[in-house]
Amino acid sequence: MIGKDRIIGLLREVVMASDGDFAEAVFTGTDYGLTRYANSIIHQNVADQNSSVAFRVAVGKKIGVASTNIFEKEALIRVCNDALEIAERSVPNRYFNALARPQKYKRLVTFFVSTARVTPAKRAAVVKRICARADRKGLIASGSVSSSMSEIAVVNSGGVEAYQPNTSATVSIIYSSDDSSGYAQGVSRRFERIDLESLVSRAETKCLMSRNPITLDPGKYDVILEPTAVANLLEWLTFIAFSANPYHEKTSFLSGKTGKKIASPALSIYDDGLATRGIAFPFDFEGVPKKKVFFIRRGIGGGPVYDLATARKYKKRSTGHGMPPGNAEGPMPLNVHVAPGSKLPSQMIRAVERGVLVTRFHYINGFLDTPRALLTGMTRDGTFLIEKGKVASGVKNLRFTESMLRAFSNIVAISKGTELIDTWWSDIGCVSAPTIHIKEFNFTGKTEF
Amino acid sequence: MREIIDYLKSMGIDYADARFVERRNESITVKNGQLEAASRNDGRGVGIRVLHKGCWGFASGSHLNPGDLKKLAAKAVSIAKASAATRKSPVSLAPVEIHRDRYISPFSEDPFAVSLDEKIGLLMKVDETLRKTPKIKIAEASMDFFKTDKIFCSTEGALIEQSIIESGAGYEATAVDKGEAQKRSYPNSHRGDFGCAGYEFIRELDLAGHAEKVAAEAVALLSAPPCPSVSTDIIITGDQMTLQVHESCGHPVELDRVLGTEISLAGGSFMTIDKLGLLKYGSDKVSIVQDSTIPQALGSFGFDDEGVKASRTDIIRNGLFVGYLTSRETAPKVKASPNGTMRADGWNAIPLIRMTNINLEPGEWDFDSLVADTKDGILLSTNKSWSIDDKRLNFQFGVEVAWQVKDGKIGTMYRNPVYTGITPEFWNSCDAICNRSHWRIWGVASCGKGEPMQVAHVAHGVSPARFRNVTVGVSR
Repeated sequence: MIGKDRIIGLLREVVMASDGDFAEAVFTGTDYGLTRYANSIIHQNVADQNSSVAFRVAVGKKIGVASTNIFEKEALIRVCNDALEIAERSVPNRYFNALARPQKYKRLVTFFVSTARVTPAKRAAVVKRICARADRKGLIASGSVSSSMSEIAVVNSGGVEAYQPNTSATVSIIYSSDDSSGYAQGVSRRFERIDLESLVSRAETKCLMSRNPITLDPGKYDVILEPTAVANLLEWLTFIAFSANPYHEKTSFLSGKTGKKIASPALSIYDDGLATRGIAFPFDFEGVPKKKVFFIRRGIGGGPVYDLATARKYKKRSTGHGMPPGNAEGPMPLNVHVAPGSKLPSQMIRAVERGVLVTRFHYINGFLDTPRALLTGMTRDGTFLIEKGKVASGVKNLRFTESMLRAFSNIVAISKGTELIDTWWSDIGCVSAPTIHIKEFNFTGKTEF
Repeated sequence: MREIIDYLKSMGIDYADARFVERRNESITVKNGQLEAASRNDGRGVGIRVLHKGCWGFASGSHLNPGDLKKLAAKAVSIAKASAATRKSPVSLAPVEIHRDRYISPFSEDPFAVSLDEKIGLLMKVDETLRKTPKIKIAEASMDFFKTDKIFCSTEGALIEQSIIESGAGYEATAVDKGEAQKRSYPNSHRGDFGCAGYEFIRELDLAGHAEKVAAEAVALLSAPPCPSVSTDIIITGDQMTLQVHESCGHPVELDRVLGTEISLAGGSFMTIDKLGLLKYGSDKVSIVQDSTIPQALGSFGFDDEGVKASRTDIIRNGLFVGYLTSRETAPKVKASPNGTMRADGWNAIPLIRMTNINLEPGEWDFDSLVADTKDGILLSTNKSWSIDDKRLNFQFGVEVAWQVKDGKIGTMYRNPVYTGITPEFWNSCDAICNRSHWRIWGVASCGKGEPMQVAHVAHGVSPARFRNVTVGVSR
């Protein structure tokens, strides 16, 4: 950890000295450890310390971006000048107006010493417990345990000085037998808050219960999607639907549907970077405070998230969802929540006459037909047949191909409990999802295990 | 680096290697007449991998003074010691030839010496041409360049320097109308085509020369009928064959994946060790090799990140599964020699088994003759969507465009085509592969694997091929 004063001080000095009309520096520093295990042994144990500074410099409406991982004054000045040079040789972007102005940010505690102090030995001890349980049950354990510290800062020549230190920890467990597997995961800013015993029990139960899986023919089934499966779907919608560009370019399933009924009234999906029961983070990579944005509110279509450029382009205000300089994808929601319902998962299963319980999806792809949010993917690590309100047996994995517009209209119930699901951006966000019961979910294929 | 290796030797370890990597990347994206991104990214650092009493540890950092590097080495050793908590049998490495060598990838024109004006100008010209066609609402064109310099040292005495230049470009046009969105890309989707080459690779693509046709096809797709749901013969063009080989052959033969070490993320493989030499993976027409020695192919290099020299080895020979992609740790488990496929995504990533150039060997057919020989089928082109189960058996691909093939002639265009299958059944249904005149190597610069996620640059040499009785159009 370099610390706020040194990071802000050095970046301020460099951006203020830039000859560009505007200059911005985005700092990301990480101190990351990951212990990965398979076949019930640790096979990969890594640590990485790195920091990166990306400069965005504007000359009029011409923008240049350059970055380095050398956090020394001379190197930073050189790279800031590189960004200026790129800007000078660039062409104007008419949607560029200015960088963010000084802002007030919500005070959030996102750094916890308990996570920062996690050592490789501590992570290995956790893995040892997970593997020992597998050995006792005759199962094979695979997964990972990670802990990280990070610092993110945004400084610009207009006076923005944002800094936030973070910690994050994840545990994922897959228990496997000859013909089954079970999965559980946890994510938290506080390592000790991950309930290892609960995760171990859940993964073990799923693995043991899904032994001797039956083959189910593709078709339309009621599904109980557990929180990880719901989050897997939502991760794709963040790319193809919830951002300003697909929305305004009319390739999103939300395009033209703001204010219209598009889903069950039970469904609300929103992004809220400030919600402390998620992995909260106060500002975006342009230094704009996070705002809450509803994509679907009680079944009614909402709007997308914006950064500064798309806000200007589409005559809106930034919602605080800018991504690091140099990205061409536009704004992204990184703290997606599905509002809870009122049922217990056990009640929801009891309401299913014949259906499929899905723990998680694998290798989803959402590019098939984006205006209909048509997704495809496979089930994985715990797929079960529900009969007469009870989990009857494991099921060999199935392929779904389903429009989320249709699925969201077919929601029967949503659980009152939600879980935080790890994403690749878990330092600054995650998905918070409940269990959801959907009728007539379309399975289009099956596999051999 | 030598000091670090000497220091590591003094710490009683079994083996260690250190990699210094310096990488420069330039990325330019033009969208709808605006320069969306023009960025240059530089990074450098050292990764140290240690094997101590049969357990791995890895630490990486960007501070390069001798004191910090010693601390980094000590950290890698302490991490390896922590890994002993679950040790069952010690890791051992296959012996390999120790190289002290230098490799520079071949290129004619340094892409970083070509002016930004020229690059942006070309992309703007493409963008303008695409948007001249009514209903093209999204035009996006991009270029990416990479320069990687690395030094590999090991406690066994290896000292290898490599300098690799890579270039790529592409564009896509999306037509939008009445709730429908259809896209065509050139020269391929996923930001185009890439080579281990200089700017000459970009010039040879003739980006501007194809823009009008690409835009016209995207618009035509808006009013094309949906691809029918049928079981039929399909001909797949080379751009989509790239993804077919990648997902259903390249990934499943990564031996680390086969042995379970990717289960926590990307899954395992149906091509288990007991099937080596026995599995009839495909028809007799199907031969697939890994070959990292092909000049200017994106999956080529001099040495992998374990210091093993680039090589060519058989994966599938006349349909029979005969070989894996291997590492020094995994190769002995199949009584093979390491074939040089361990690569890391930069200094701060541990090497994993990665595809190199995984190539479907050409067959004997001329493309026109293949179409003429197809009575009833569908021609499928350019990847749009990809999904496969966690043992790489059940796959479903969506492509940008399809055409009916009727009585040996290409006919009606179809939108939203999808095809699906089970990997060995599918490859065993392959009855024709086009000849070398239709064979081309396609670079894929976005192959993901590992945790934390690493992105590898790989390639696939392919030509169009025909598969019998495949399920098509199952998306609804």
